[in-house]
Amino acid sequence: MAVDLGQMAELLIAGKVDEVEKMTGQAIEEGMDPSDILQKGLIAGMDVVGQRFKACDMFIPEVLRSAKAMGAGMKQLRPMLVASGAKMAGTMVIGTVKGDLHDIGKNLVGMMFEGAGFQVVNLGIDLESQVFVDAVKEHKPELLGMSALLTTTMPKMGEVINALKEAGIRDQVKVMVGGAPVTEEFAKEIGADIYGANAASSVDKAKAVLNA
Amino acid sequence: MTFRTNYTVNKTTRFRLLSEDQKARIFRGVIKTLNDTGANVHHEEVRDILGKNGCKVDGKRVRIPPEVVLDALASLPPTTTLYSWDGDEEMCYVEPGRSYFGPGPTPPNFNDPDTLERRPYLRKDATTVARVCDALPNIGYVQSLGSISDVTNGLADVYEFADMIQNTRKIIMNWAFSVENLADEHRIGIVMAGGEEAFSRRPNFIHYSEPISPLTSDFDAIGKCLYCAKHRIPQVYTPCCIGGATVPATHAGQIIVAMSESMVGVVLSQIVNPGTCIIIGGVQSILDMRRTIYSYGAPELGIMSAAFTEMLNYVGLPMYSTSGCTDTKKMELQSGIEAAFSIHMAMLSGANFVHDNGYTESGITGDIFQTVMDDEIIGMSRLIGGGVEVNEETLAVEEICNVGPGGHYLYEDHTMKWFRHHWQPTLMDRNSYEDWDAQGRLTMKDRIVNKTRDIIENYEGPASRVPEEARKDLQKILDAAEDRVRSQS
Ligand code: B12
Repeated sequence: MAVDLGQMAELLIAGKVDEVEKMTGQAIEEGMDPSDILQKGLIAGMDVVGQRFKACDMFIPEVLRSAKAMGAGMKQLRPMLVASGAKMAGTMVIGTVKGDLHDIGKNLVGMMFEGAGFQVVNLGIDLESQVFVDAVKEHKPELLGMSALLTTTMPKMGEVINALKEAGIRDQVKVMVGGAPVTEEFAKEIGADIYGANAASSVDKAKAVLNA
Repeated sequence: MTFRTNYTVNKTTRFRLLSEDQKARIFRGVIKTLNDTGANVHHEEVRDILGKNGCKVDGKRVRIPPEVVLDALASLPPTTTLYSWDGDEEMCYVEPGRSYFGPGPTPPNFNDPDTLERRPYLRKDATTVARVCDALPNIGYVQSLGSISDVTNGLADVYEFADMIQNTRKIIMNWAFSVENLADEHRIGIVMAGGEEAFSRRPNFIHYSEPISPLTSDFDAIGKCLYCAKHRIPQVYTPCCIGGATVPATHAGQIIVAMSESMVGVVLSQIVNPGTCIIIGGVQSILDMRRTIYSYGAPELGIMSAAFTEMLNYVGLPMYSTSGCTDTKKMELQSGIEAAFSIHMAMLSGANFVHDNGYTESGITGDIFQTVMDDEIIGMSRLIGGGVEVNEETLAVEEICNVGPGGHYLYEDHTMKWFRHHWQPTLMDRNSYEDWDAQGRLTMKDRIVNKTRDIIENYEGPASRVPEEARKDLQKILDAAEDRVRSQS
């Protein structure tokens, strides 16, 4: 029996990570077009999740579970999508800067991007600038996210941007920054491309910049 | 030396949220968590100390067996006294039934007293906050409501304490980036007390630091805890737990995690220096699952803080609670509603130190106007917390019979003696319509602003009484700190 992508979308909306993962595998085995699986299964589900979130029918933990299901499906589809040259969300590297141990906001952002189809590399907290530079070299992400929750560590985000310049790789990646005390103004000052006030809105903003 | 019971101290009527059975179950949850899973401790010396004293160390993980927890709880001091810096007054007793309300530490922004707009917190604001808090009768201890943005990066904490302690005699709860900075603050406390010996007999500050949820003590935080324990400095070791994100979404589960991660500090402090004062508790609230804001106005903050207070009372630990804060950006109805709820919950739960009176925008902007409003609410709440006194004199049966039917009580000696126990508002409007109209139709916001500005302009704090010698010594400490930071960068 052919895999029902509508059902896959429903399972994704319901946050059934294992089922979505299994179904994606089956669909691939059956030889379905990877772009179809992505568009009519995973993304169709996440679109509904996004609408329901905006309508207050779904809340963050539910959205994140769906996002995790999306990630589980994407993990299998990604190599095939790459091979076929299909258009899809790229890679995001994210971490909290040196001297800063605030973790959860950054994790939330990463999880949301996973839900938007990105491959997310979460580097952790308290990271030296060099760690960001090395990660950009290694993973070649479309997006580099940095988090700082302290006014004393905010300048570190600017230092990372300078380090990217010195390494000659600033142009390869869009830099996005956030964290409670960070402002749009500050983001501009240090030369970041995108400022994200919270997890949900920063996905939309990033997509807009990347698709521009 | 005066040994009076400070006006900011009270004995509270308690309500009860948890049954004995519920408390026992939560405590067993803590014991099991510490024994089976334990916490990560990112500090080698601390792990060594814990390992040599009955804890099981496995890499960074430290598991604490029940008997070690119980020993630590048994060695806590029943009471600790803190003194004004001049040593003249007993300012705080850390003991059950004593509640002190104060502002909170370190938001990045401050609500400018002149423009009423938020802006980065400046050095001068620390002095303002200390002076205003010194003047407010229901504020029992002081925190800065900001982190200074216009001094050398990494020294905001030291400047803040040096400036604040000169501007209030109330106990300051300071914080520090590192053990080095804490040592500077310790020196400041010693200078103000008039020497090391005087400081250890009459400590004049409490130090505040934070473990990380879930179940982690980072190097700086536990290092500061160790420093305080070694030097017998009273301390607070409390996390900011985010319900549903860094801790379970259930209140009982949240309290178990919060209590367990702080217990690492309690155990360490009592091993290093039995009988040294440590207070736990912290901010206990939830993640708003729509807006991803850590809510400072949520009703859950009130109920969890109150339940946690009961738990700590059950095991003999003092509680650092939270109240008087709001998620709004501007002084408005919401700030008053949220503050009133949390203050009253904290009061009736009998929490010991209750912080964040003056936090707005979910902890992002400190607001001294909010503190001034909170001071009034605390006064009202304290009256209610005082309960109803029932004895021969308050029953007043003799007076009732004397006045008899149809008379009045305005001439009675009994009335003369007792009416002053009624609470008098300083901000609440009880004018007649005509008086209110004649006085310019002031709103609550107008009255708060007027009262605050009046204190800022006219209140004479203790600054002029700081000995010249001490002032110079404080400057030397600041200069040395500057040198240290310069040599490090
Ligand atoms: C929880 C918390 C902690 C916890 C963190 C636990 C953990 N596991 O993460 C602990 C206890 C460790 C902690 C420690 C400290 N903290 Co703290 N902390 C907070 C608190 C209360 C909530 C932060 C939070 O998690 N919010 C919930 C999450 C979901 O929101 P968020 O982090 O803001 O993230 C959202 C957005 O900002 C954005 N975002 C975040 N990152 C990124 C990145 C990108 C790329 C994008 C696009 C978006 C984005 O999207 C996220 C999701 O919507 C804030 C107060 C506040 N209201 O922010 C203080 C706060 C940030 N902390 C503060 C301070 C001072 C400290 C300490 C110095 C305290 C001390 N005295 O020791 C230490 C510093 C430790 C260190 N070296 O980092 C201050 C900062 C003040 C300042 N001037 O900068 C604050 C504002 C509290 C205060 N009012 O004093 N803290």
